[in-house]
Amino acid sequence: MMARKKRPASATRRLHRSLGAGSAVFVIFLVLSGLVINHSNFLGLDQKPVSQGILLDWYGLEKPQSVLSFRVADQWLSFAGSQVFLDEKPVTNLSNGVGAVPAGDILVVAGADELLLLDNSGQLIERQSWEAAPEDPIMSIGLLPDGTVSLKTGQQLWLSDRDFIQWTKADNTSIQPDWAHSEALPENLVQAISLSYRGHGLNFERVLLDLHSGRFFGPIGVLVYDLVALVLGFLAVSGLILWFKSRGNGKRKNGRAKHG
Amino acid sequence: MLTSVFKKALGLIGLCSLPLLLQAATVYETQADFLSRAFSSSPPDPGVIWLSGERKATVHDLLGHDYPALRLRYWCQTPRSAWVLEEVGKEQPITVGIIVENSYIKNLKVLTYRENRGGEVANAAFTDQFHRASLDENTRLDTTIDGISGATLSVRALTRLANLALYLHGESGCNDGA
Repeated sequence: MMARKKRPASATRRLHRSLGAGSAVFVIFLVLSGLVINHSNFLGLDQKPVSQGILLDWYGLEKPQSVLSFRVADQWLSFAGSQVFLDEKPVTNLSNGVGAVPAGDILVVAGADELLLLDNSGQLIERQSWEAAPEDPIMSIGLLPDGTVSLKTGQQLWLSDRDFIQWTKADNTSIQPDWAHSEALPENLVQAISLSYRGHGLNFERVLLDLHSGRFFGPIGVLVYDLVALVLGFLAVSGLILWFKSRGNGKRKNGRAKHG
Repeated sequence: MLTSVFKKALGLIGLCSLPLLLQAATVYETQADFLSRAFSSSPPDPGVIWLSGERKATVHDLLGHDYPALRLRYWCQTPRSAWVLEEVGKEQPITVGIIVENSYIKNLKVLTYRENRGGEVANAAFTDQFHRASLDENTRLDTTIDGISGATLSVRALTRLANLALYLHGESGCNDGA
C-alpha cells in the first residue's frame, strides 16, 4: 500500500494558522479582561481606588502641589487640590479651600464659594453654595468666643445662625473672630494624603477598561488593538473559507469512494 | 539618565490616557436662577430636612444607596417646594433642580451635568416627561419615563431624584403649610 502524499498547506491555511497562533494571547487576554469588566460592579472594582505607585506613575498622576491643613479639635482637616481629608480619610471635594473650624459636633469647612458641614467622622451633613454674597468669595473662617462661626469676604464679616442655615452680615465692626490658621501636618498624614490624592478618580475598572481597549498603552496601544481586531476579522473569514473548502474536498472524496 | 527618560516616557503615555479621567461640567442654570424661577417673587428662607431614622431608610430604598448628605435644604412656599439634589449617573454627580407643587412635579431641570456622555438628559424634550409625575401607593413614580440610548444611567439617576423630591416634599409638610 502506497503512503498517501501529504499535500502542502495552502497559503490561506498557513496564514490562518500563523495569525491564529499569534493572536491567541490577545484573544485570551481580551476574553478574561472582558469578563472581569462585565462584573466589575459586583467585584467592587469601580469603587476600588488605585494606590499602586507604578500605576499612578503610568497615568502621570502627581502628588498634590501643596497640602493646606487645619487643626479641628483633635483631628486634622486638610485640602489637597480640590480634595478634602479628615486626618488621612478622603471625605469629599471642595474647590479653593480656605479653612475649617469645629463648632460643637460639627466641622464647618469653607471654600471660596462653598461651605461644607461635616460630622466628626467626616460624613457630609450638607454642602452649601455661598449664596449670601456670591460675588464676594469667602476669604477666612473663624470662631467668636461664644462659638458662633464667622466668615470674612472682603471687608465684610458674616455670622452663622445656630443651625448653619442662614448667614447674616455682622454690623459690629469691632468683632474679632479667632481665624483658622493652617499648620504643618504630621509627616505620616502627608504621605497618606499624597497617595490617596494621586489615586483619586482612578479606579481598577478604569485601568481594566484601558487595558481592554489598548488605551492603557497610549495611541500606539490603540493602533495595535485595531490591528488585532482586523486580524480576528480575517481569521473569521479565512476560517469560513477553509471550512467550505474542506467540505468540498470531503464530498469529492466520498464521491470517488462510491464510484471507485 | 535612563530612569529619567523612562519616567518621562511613562508620563507622556499616561497623559494620553488622562483626558478620560477629566470631565468638564456643563452648568445649565445656577441655583440662584433656578430658585428665582421657582418662586416668582424672591425665594423664601430655606428650611432643612434631616435624613435620619426611617426617613433615611426610605431614601436608601428609593436611591439604592444613602444620600451623600445627612440633611437637605429646601425652599417652601405652600404648596410649592423647590429642591436642589444630586445623584451620580455613572461616575459624576448630576445636580438637578426640582419644583414640586401639590405632590406633583411642576418642573425638573438639570442644573449641572458633569459626565462626559449622556448629557441629552438635560434637554427639555426629556425632562418634560416628569411634568405632572406623582408618587403611587408604593412611593414610586406613577409615570413611565422613556429612556435615552447611551444615557441609561443618567436617565435612571434623574428618575430616582424625581422620586426622592416627591417623597421629601411629602415629608417636609410643605403641601399643608407645616
